[in-house]
Amino acid sequence: MAEVKVNGKKLVKRSLFWTWAPRSEKEAGDSIVRNLLLHWFPAKVTLKSLSWGYSLWLGTITATLFLILTLTGVVLMFLYVPSVERAYQSVKDIEYVVSFGWFIRAMHRNSAHLMVAFVFLHMVRVFLTGAYKNGVGAGQNRPLNWIVGVVLLLITLLLSFTGYLLPWDQLAFWAITVGTNIAKNAPIVGEWIRFVLLGGYEIEQNALIRFYVLHCFFLPAAVLVLFSYHMWRIRKDGGLACVDNLVLNQKKEKITDGIKSKTYSLLGLTTGRTVQVEATLIDEEKYTVNSIPFLIRRIGIVMLGTFVFVALISLFIHAPLEEPANPNVTPNPAKAPWYFLWLQELVAITTIRIGGFVINGAFVGGILIPGILVALLAIWPYLDKSSNLSTGVWFSKERTKQNIIFLILCFFVIVLIIIGTYMRGPNWEFYFPWEAWPQLPKKF
Amino acid sequence: MEKSKLKKDIVVVYAIALIGLIATLAVYVKHLTPEWKKYQSEFKQYVREKLGEDKARMVEFGVRQIYVKELNRVDRCITCHIGYEWKGLENASNPFKTHPKEILDKHPVQKYGCTICHGGQGYALNKEEAHGFIKHWDEPLLGKELEDIYRPPDRKVLLQMNCNICHRYDTLTPGADYINYAKKLVREKGCRACHKINGRGGVIGPDLTYEGDKAPEQFDYSRIGGYKSVFAWHIAHFKNPKMVSPESIMPEMGFGSREAIALTLLTMSWRKVNLPPEYIPQSSKALADLPTPEEIEKERQMREGEGAFFVNKGCFVCHSISVFGIESAAKIGPDLSNAVEDVQSRFGKTLENFIKEPTGTMAIVLGSQIILSDSEKAQVVELLTKAYEKYRKQQLTSKP
Amino acid sequence: MKFDRRKFLKNFGIGALLLTLVGQIYTWIRSLFPNVSYEGIKRVKIDEPDKIPDGVTFIDDIKTYIFREGKTFYAISGVCTHLGCTVKYVGLSKPKVVKIGGKEVEVKWEFHCPCHGSKFYGDGTNYAGPAPRPLDWVKVEVSPEDGKLVVDFSKKVSQNYKLTV
Repeated sequence: MAEVKVNGKKLVKRSLFWTWAPRSEKEAGDSIVRNLLLHWFPAKVTLKSLSWGYSLWLGTITATLFLILTLTGVVLMFLYVPSVERAYQSVKDIEYVVSFGWFIRAMHRNSAHLMVAFVFLHMVRVFLTGAYKNGVGAGQNRPLNWIVGVVLLLITLLLSFTGYLLPWDQLAFWAITVGTNIAKNAPIVGEWIRFVLLGGYEIEQNALIRFYVLHCFFLPAAVLVLFSYHMWRIRKDGGLACVDNLVLNQKKEKITDGIKSKTYSLLGLTTGRTVQVEATLIDEEKYTVNSIPFLIRRIGIVMLGTFVFVALISLFIHAPLEEPANPNVTPNPAKAPWYFLWLQELVAITTIRIGGFVINGAFVGGILIPGILVALLAIWPYLDKSSNLSTGVWFSKERTKQNIIFLILCFFVIVLIIIGTYMRGPNWEFYFPWEAWPQLPKKF
Repeated sequence: MEKSKLKKDIVVVYAIALIGLIATLAVYVKHLTPEWKKYQSEFKQYVREKLGEDKARMVEFGVRQIYVKELNRVDRCITCHIGYEWKGLENASNPFKTHPKEILDKHPVQKYGCTICHGGQGYALNKEEAHGFIKHWDEPLLGKELEDIYRPPDRKVLLQMNCNICHRYDTLTPGADYINYAKKLVREKGCRACHKINGRGGVIGPDLTYEGDKAPEQFDYSRIGGYKSVFAWHIAHFKNPKMVSPESIMPEMGFGSREAIALTLLTMSWRKVNLPPEYIPQSSKALADLPTPEEIEKERQMREGEGAFFVNKGCFVCHSISVFGIESAAKIGPDLSNAVEDVQSRFGKTLENFIKEPTGTMAIVLGSQIILSDSEKAQVVELLTKAYEKYRKQQLTSKP
Repeated sequence: MKFDRRKFLKNFGIGALLLTLVGQIYTWIRSLFPNVSYEGIKRVKIDEPDKIPDGVTFIDDIKTYIFREGKTFYAISGVCTHLGCTVKYVGLSKPKVVKIGGKEVEVKWEFHCPCHGSKFYGDGTNYAGPAPRPLDWVKVEVSPEDGKLVVDFSKKVSQNYKLTV
């Protein structure tokens, strides 16, 4: 402490983030680990990693959306009552009489939709740049991080899905009815999963409180844990994949074994064998800049930009709330949230009949096809045999074929979503966007 | 990428911050200028002009609501309809008008709220959503907007529908003349011959006890022109049942729009509502909507008399058989007293053959509604022959 | 000149940033202060003044004792000033004369608190137990709307505020 006590002001500022000040380079290196920001971020960062064009900053945007969701979500937890009798009313109150309630709820809902979209886009980016591939560092395990990412995608979908039930309106009730019945069609455990998820066979108070706890505690906690690991792995894997590419291009030589490298910090260097990229590259002023302020500032821009964007659209796009849940009346058409509409479309068209033998579309479209897709995603890095020159490059020539396959699959999902969203009318009948739906009757 | 570019990042931060500030300001503007504030300051101004400064000072700003725990309703209508309890604003225009006092004396606002009678969305704090003519709200205000669509012969009758939520088992409800008229029609036209109403009645037509709970999706609108709603469906159906649903055997009663609207209001009021006992008027004796002694006696006679067979089978809904003392409520079919002769002249075949192979409406009725076994068919012929003999005798004696 | 503009832009930018953040965070905090209440009614309309029974009436909803002495009405809160329990009305079989604020007053009833033994005279003055001050007096008024008597629990008045109709 004595060393830092240059003047009073500094002490206060530092003591918030630093518990200790370095006396040697070794200590300085260690200190990185103790600094809140530098523990997450490297001391120096390559210009390529910082560029807008390589990563598109999709992961940062997703993380920001999660932060917005957490903050607004905590506020909403104070205002929402998870009971069958009061839930709908409390959401109406949030919309009408809670100061800024409509805005906070719109922020939460819009962020949730955007988060699903951006997790997906982030995945597409990582795939197309071959960023799940190991490069030149020792001990890299990017495929593992890719799998963590896939799990995060699934949890994000579950988070959105569980949030859907909470307002206890028609949309909620029927989306959950369809969703949990899809789960029921999973082999062997299906019935059991639905029973545990709903705490019974009907969507009632038990189901509501279970979805509430999942939505507010378990799933966000799981995201936090996995997200931390996701970030930590990026550091351990030597930063973004484009750095490996930079090293390889510079060296213009094939590297078979990992490079023994050093961890750098603002304060000096510490010798060790932690994973890092080639020292010579990082040393060059030409390729790198200090994380503080440049990386921090860019992250700031992205976070601020995301926040402002969500706030801006929330002024115009409000969270919907339909009639109170009515188990006796299914709205027409009853649609799942858009990110599940491709599944709903599949479920609707994949019931297979061979003679008297029938396989429910709920199994084929709801379990089998998405199950295969997720499994394929998870093992893809292990099937990808391209060389490490394709690591961290957009549209590498070596990977053209697999990029095309991947994009076609994505394209199908997106097309199905668009059909489900815009071209399915009452009774799930097909309508072109320019065709008017029949007028739906009202009570009065 | 150039390092120099990175240095310009800070400008981007400021630019985004500025957009963020604008968005934030927009949120605050929206927060500070809700619709109800406009109405409240207008009201204050109005009271100042009408009743003086002293009274105007008593007007306090803010959202007001009536929370009726027993009915699980929250009504914020009085945030704008702020003068509802004020003396001296009887002639003001809405939303400042005083609510008629007599009805509030019997139905205190604190105990009932507003929407249980008037309809509308009590949660909402702007006119459009509160009056409830919006997507995703099933109970719009039973007022002028609705009148403009359905044009009842008298004004301010639509909200009588909601009187009947609590007054369901009354025979007469003071002030609810349309509902009273509809209940009278139900008795006179003998709807209960086919329909169960309040848990009592026949089984030929659908049970109407909770007809008001049916969802819009449960009706077929393909033969209804114009605006499609349950309300419009009922009106059209009461006026002409066959036109709205061709397979229906419900007789056309010749209802005009007054009758049709009254009956629609009554039918749609038949909803399942959980009411605390203190909200149900009169004593529990009234609860069953029981038949009068005369009704019971008449029914007994019909059930036990010579024509009991036709009563039990439901033929009497359309057909009278005067010689057996059976009087149809609807009278849409001919009197069966002289069926033996009448069938021959109408269809060109004997009664026996007609019962075996009916044509026209009777083909539908005997094919789907009233299924007779062969022995029953024989019984029909036998009984109607007996009726015809009686009829002939009457004819002869009545002629001088 | 150029330097000034830069500085201005910088301050403006940082100002906008801070205002945005503060403004947004305030929405979250403000939303936690409810604008409407689902709690029991604090303002109770009782009846026309001449229909209220003489003597004491307890109004459950707002834990208040209302007194009528002929044409005079007043209300005393039943909430103990110590820690908020509801005090009990105790009618005295024999009126006693006590000194309150130097004046001799005849007391016909008292209020006793069941929680910590505080005791109050009929006008709410505390004389025993931990209660730090007299019971609150609550405003009684005639409704401008329909002439009925209204007790407004949220409006505290000074001791001996009585309404004569």
